[in-house]
Amino acid sequence: MRRLLILFAAAALVSPAAIRRLTHSQYNNTVRDLLGDQTLPADNFPPEDFVHGFKNQASAQDIPPVLAEAYDSAAERLARNAFQGGQDANNLIPCKPRNAGDSACAAQFIRAFGRRALRHPLTDRELQRYQTLLLKEARRTGLFVGGAQAVVEAMLQSPKFLFRFDGPAARLSYFLWDTMPDGLLFQAEESGALSTREGIKRAVRRLLDHPNAKESLDQFVGQWLRFDLALSAVKDRALYPQFTPELAISMTEETRRLIADNVWNGRNFMDVFTANYSFLSSDLAALYKLPAPSTEFSRVEFPADSGRAGVVGQGTFLTLTSKPGDTSPTVRGYYVREQFLCQQVPDPPPGTNSNLPLVTQERPQTNRERLKVHVANATCAGCHALMDPIGLGFEKYDAIGRYREKQTILFFPDRRAKDQTPAKVTVDLDTSGMVSGTRDSSFSSPKGLGEILARSEECQSCMVKQLFRYAFGRMEGVGDRDTIGKGLEVFRGSQFRYKDLLAYMAEAVTLQEGGN
Amino acid sequence: MALTRRTFLRGAGAAGATVRIGLPPLEAMFNSHGTAYAAGKEAIPIPSRFVLWFNGNGIPERYWIPAETGPNYDLTPCLAPLAPFRNDVHIITGLDNPASRLPGPGNDHHRSMSGLMSGTPFTGRGAGGPSIDQLIAAKIGGGTRFRSLQVGVCQESHGESIHRNMSWSGYERALPPELLPHNLFDRIFGVKEPSWVGRKQSVLDAVRDEFKDLSGGLGKQDKARLEDHLASVRDLERAIVSLPPDYAKVEEPELGGDVKDYPRVAKLQTDLLVHALASGQTRVASYMLTKCQSLVRLPWLGYTTLRHHDYTHTNSESPRAQRIMRDICRWHVEEFSYFVAKLKAVREGDGTLFDHCTLLYVHEHAEANIHKNNGLVAIVAGDRRKLVTGTHTKATGTMGDLYLAVANGAAGASIDAFPTAGRKLEGVLV
Repeated sequence: MRRLLILFAAAALVSPAAIRRLTHSQYNNTVRDLLGDQTLPADNFPPEDFVHGFKNQASAQDIPPVLAEAYDSAAERLARNAFQGGQDANNLIPCKPRNAGDSACAAQFIRAFGRRALRHPLTDRELQRYQTLLLKEARRTGLFVGGAQAVVEAMLQSPKFLFRFDGPAARLSYFLWDTMPDGLLFQAEESGALSTREGIKRAVRRLLDHPNAKESLDQFVGQWLRFDLALSAVKDRALYPQFTPELAISMTEETRRLIADNVWNGRNFMDVFTANYSFLSSDLAALYKLPAPSTEFSRVEFPADSGRAGVVGQGTFLTLTSKPGDTSPTVRGYYVREQFLCQQVPDPPPGTNSNLPLVTQERPQTNRERLKVHVANATCAGCHALMDPIGLGFEKYDAIGRYREKQTILFFPDRRAKDQTPAKVTVDLDTSGMVSGTRDSSFSSPKGLGEILARSEECQSCMVKQLFRYAFGRMEGVGDRDTIGKGLEVFRGSQFRYKDLLAYMAEAVTLQEGGN
Repeated sequence: MALTRRTFLRGAGAAGATVRIGLPPLEAMFNSHGTAYAAGKEAIPIPSRFVLWFNGNGIPERYWIPAETGPNYDLTPCLAPLAPFRNDVHIITGLDNPASRLPGPGNDHHRSMSGLMSGTPFTGRGAGGPSIDQLIAAKIGGGTRFRSLQVGVCQESHGESIHRNMSWSGYERALPPELLPHNLFDRIFGVKEPSWVGRKQSVLDAVRDEFKDLSGGLGKQDKARLEDHLASVRDLERAIVSLPPDYAKVEEPELGGDVKDYPRVAKLQTDLLVHALASGQTRVASYMLTKCQSLVRLPWLGYTTLRHHDYTHTNSESPRAQRIMRDICRWHVEEFSYFVAKLKAVREGDGTLFDHCTLLYVHEHAEANIHKNNGLVAIVAGDRRKLVTGTHTKATGTMGDLYLAVANGAAGASIDAFPTAGRKLEGVLV
């Protein structure tokens, strides 16, 4: 018990920020590793909120009654599956019970399973508690596994399982693997190896070489770049009939591959903004008007004169920042500020009329012309000057990421009209954009902005901050300045090798560096 | 004042922690104050119920708000589905949501939603306090198997907590609605073996015991979070250890089916809610037909190119867009009208279940496109011995004023204050 209390007290002292709950993906991965269950039960839990750009922020991790019920029914099902047909298929019970009431075997099982499920060596009180439960249920069912099943069901609902009162092993593995520690990592914790920097470095190297680290990075990338918004995007079917759920999946896969290729091959991470190549499905190649890839999602080079480059030239970004029927320069600018520069743009004041001038056949305006109302209106001008000029540089890329030299606006006749052919009006596009507040930042294509971002110190430091927020489950505070500053040094010193940044952040998380 | 869930549970007295109800047939209900059993059968008043019904996005005012006030108003196109029940409903317009205009984070949808439900400004993450249904549940929900139920239908929204949830137990404490009929059925009417209940009880005893190890060394915030979790576990226990009543009238909805066939889902959810109210399992519910800033597609209305919210802002002044919004809002009223019909079909005492209900139907905004948050509409329906019905009133007052009036005067919940209320709205109670 003393050890446990020290663990908890230490956690409370060093990190006054709220304790974290397992995220849904951590829940899925943890029950997979704990019980061998691959059913992804958390996919049916109430969805998680994005706070500070991520779904793993401590401040959003309460357990309201509906979630408690979801945990309860998942625990019941998982425990039942673990001992299906009275069998212990995954060898959770380390001994052969002599009878249903074999208390020695019960204790052995509870200690072994509890160590992994609750992520600390059990205290006597805990052992007692679960032994009482096991024997009671074993008596009731007449089966030892009946009792073991109840123990699993209870532990999976314990606050010690659901919340993370973690030691260094779990802190490290939940960050780099998005799951519970394996046996080696628990051992390293028990032997004290994770109390030394050298020991942690060794563990980090091992974890980074494991496939779990790749999946964990994908999870981070998908949240940081808001794949969910691309996957749930809706486009006006009359204007974008080729936009399908499959195409949206291809888009996020393209982005995922660009970043994974960069990170795991040790390239300069800032290249993800300038890459003049991508990983395309044949549908995407057709959308971008490029030759089909040799195999699905193999690397395709862009022509030298292409304005498309990096993540900001990809379908994911271009689609998720657009409206159903049109691009939104404002949203594109907003996204660049928030995601890539870590700058927060305030929300519009209450009661703002957010309607732009109507586009009519008599007055077919470009977005550049329509957005002039933001400049003219003093209430709007301050913030929109931060966003609109960035997005206007992308106007030659439509709401699903296709290149267009000019913009064609369609006007659909009234439903009752005999001839339903839409009228077409074509307008010229001016794509001069700029990042206000950044020197020499004029650009006129995604490639142009990508180059500005890649060399921007603010963007480089933002890469560190985003990872910090994800790793620590909270927004950085003044007390975190050193952690982030040193991270940026490491990142820059390694020629922006993201693996080095991951390793640095993993150490910081394990040692709980950075206070609030 | 920021009420947390815990304060509530304490406020609800011993009920939160220790009540174990067996089968709760109506005769075994607590009386309407939730404090004691009534003595004899004849002494038991039939309990009053409260349901808050929410529709996302605003309305096309010209097709929704009746031109005339008083009992002889003409039903507008949006209100037409209420024709059979026009004597049972009170159309109230002109209500204000002042909390939505306080400075703070969020866009107009966030702000309107938080102000509408809780009377407090949006915090950046959620509502700034308990929603009215939860204030009422804290007063009258203590004696039932579920303190309150949250039912939902459409799923599509921008996906933040404030979009997805209408019920809030306290500051940023969302109570998400159950969206799938099969899950809702299982929660309320799933029949379990007695041995199942026994095991569950032992398991949850152990879980509750686990919290005892965790009090030392934790910060205030963490303690609060754990107390909330413990409260959730207790709610769970309360629902589990009281077996569902032997209530044979409920048909189990099929597992699966098209979960996005929303007119069908809405009716299934309504049926289950009516059964839950009739069988005395809860007295308070919220019903979220569409989400805040709803992004639902509406193929059953023939509109497939855009989503609900997109229609409210796409050339929204044009006659075509106005007609689309008219049809959407008429569908909301249609589903509400189905709910009224179902409640009236259940006999209870010398009347029907509907006569012991207070229903409150609210919308996120008045005119949709401009996110108008004054001049809001509401429909009040139910107990005609307490509520004025059969008329259209242009009110001067806030949503909070309306809440105070119906909570105290009809739902049997004595609530002294609500952040946006100054007084009880006049003309609502008989």
